[in-house]
Amino acid sequence: MTRSARSRDRLFEVLFPPETTDWLSVLRLGLGLQVILLSMSLRSDWNHLFASNGAGLISRDLSEAISTFETPLSPRLGWIVSGGNALGFDEQAVLSLGWLALLCSGCLLVIGLFSRPAAITAWLMHLCAVNSGGLLSYGMDNFTTIGLFYLMLSPLPDRFSLDARLWRSRTKDPQILGFFRRVLQFHVCVIYFFGGVAKCIGPGWWDGSSLWRALTRPPFNVISPETIISWKTLIPFLGISVCILETGYPLFIWLRRTRVIWLMCICAMHVGIGLAMGMYLFAFIMVVLNIAAFGPGLGLAPRQKLVRGAVL
Amino acid sequence: MNGAGIDAGYGFFAPNVPSNYKLVFEVHYSDGKIEYELPHVGGADTGLRIATLLDYVGQTHYDPLRELLLKMLAYSTWQSHPNAVMIRAVFGFVTLPTVNDFQRGQKESYEFLYAYDFRFHKEAAEVHSP
Repeated sequence: MTRSARSRDRLFEVLFPPETTDWLSVLRLGLGLQVILLSMSLRSDWNHLFASNGAGLISRDLSEAISTFETPLSPRLGWIVSGGNALGFDEQAVLSLGWLALLCSGCLLVIGLFSRPAAITAWLMHLCAVNSGGLLSYGMDNFTTIGLFYLMLSPLPDRFSLDARLWRSRTKDPQILGFFRRVLQFHVCVIYFFGGVAKCIGPGWWDGSSLWRALTRPPFNVISPETIISWKTLIPFLGISVCILETGYPLFIWLRRTRVIWLMCICAMHVGIGLAMGMYLFAFIMVVLNIAAFGPGLGLAPRQKLVRGAVL
Repeated sequence: MNGAGIDAGYGFFAPNVPSNYKLVFEVHYSDGKIEYELPHVGGADTGLRIATLLDYVGQTHYDPLRELLLKMLAYSTWQSHPNAVMIRAVFGFVTLPTVNDFQRGQKESYEFLYAYDFRFHKEAAEVHSP
């Protein structure tokens, strides 16, 4: 075998490792719950946030114009409202139906019924909401879009879904499943690496002052400053830990010896952020993406994973 | 890229945690009474989103856009106070004390940046800026 053929085979092994659908089950279930929680959290404000001139907090037209200035073909709620108007529905009715579609797609994802259409609907409705409320969206929305995008393209349904039990779909190609998981893994590594490097540049993350500011900055000041002060000596250590965990993620998550501890630490970090800063949805989506990318089959060789998947 | 969510940066709170902005509305009535309001929303998650919006307003260098955004927020508040004759939007940022300053008893301080006066009528919204 020539050297180039060996390199090609090696690259193929890296990009297309055989996988079961277990990671996809985690991603589907996690994103389904995320979409439900997100919809419920916006229930009382949905129409107020996305109404057009006069009726909303910030006009949807202005928000769409700003957030889609560079991407004019990005889907937005304005298109759906226009379509609804043409059919005789008023704006409020269309917006309510949009919210209901998002909620229902989340419920369908959780049980795994009509998984692909549900994933596409959830991705589309969520992306429309993000583009139409761009001035009001934050990191959690970005990661939810990423997760739903991969879920929509992945080889659904997984073996724990209702679809798989009802329709007896044919077995998925393990290497195609592995490819989609690999892309998600690479993406998560890129996210942490650049997030970590950006933090390392700031001196505040090394002496703990950035962590202190993050924890006391409204509206993230869930814990009283007095309580944080009582843990004063730990603050610089935690700040440095965040830098090391994020920057070291692309290396230590791949090493079999450090993978479990790194995954546990990064998930603990997100749970901590969720509880200490009130960013529950942000914490949840990050834990879901991490567990889907590196959780199932943790520490097992590819062949062991397939054997286990066939037995279960 | 927009559909895949890969068109945004991932450096949250990096390299440093930015200052946070604050918006207060002074609601003026014809009898001279003044009430103070903050932008209010229904859920806690939407509260986090308001913080993102205020960051955007604070970082906007184009004055007409900043004024327009504040006018929309003021209009939303006016809808809860339709008898108000004027709403003054006071925008500034909050400087948080360091750990040591906090232990010495220093509290957060508020720095004024902009103020806009808006007058709305039931027929049409009219704006009067400074």
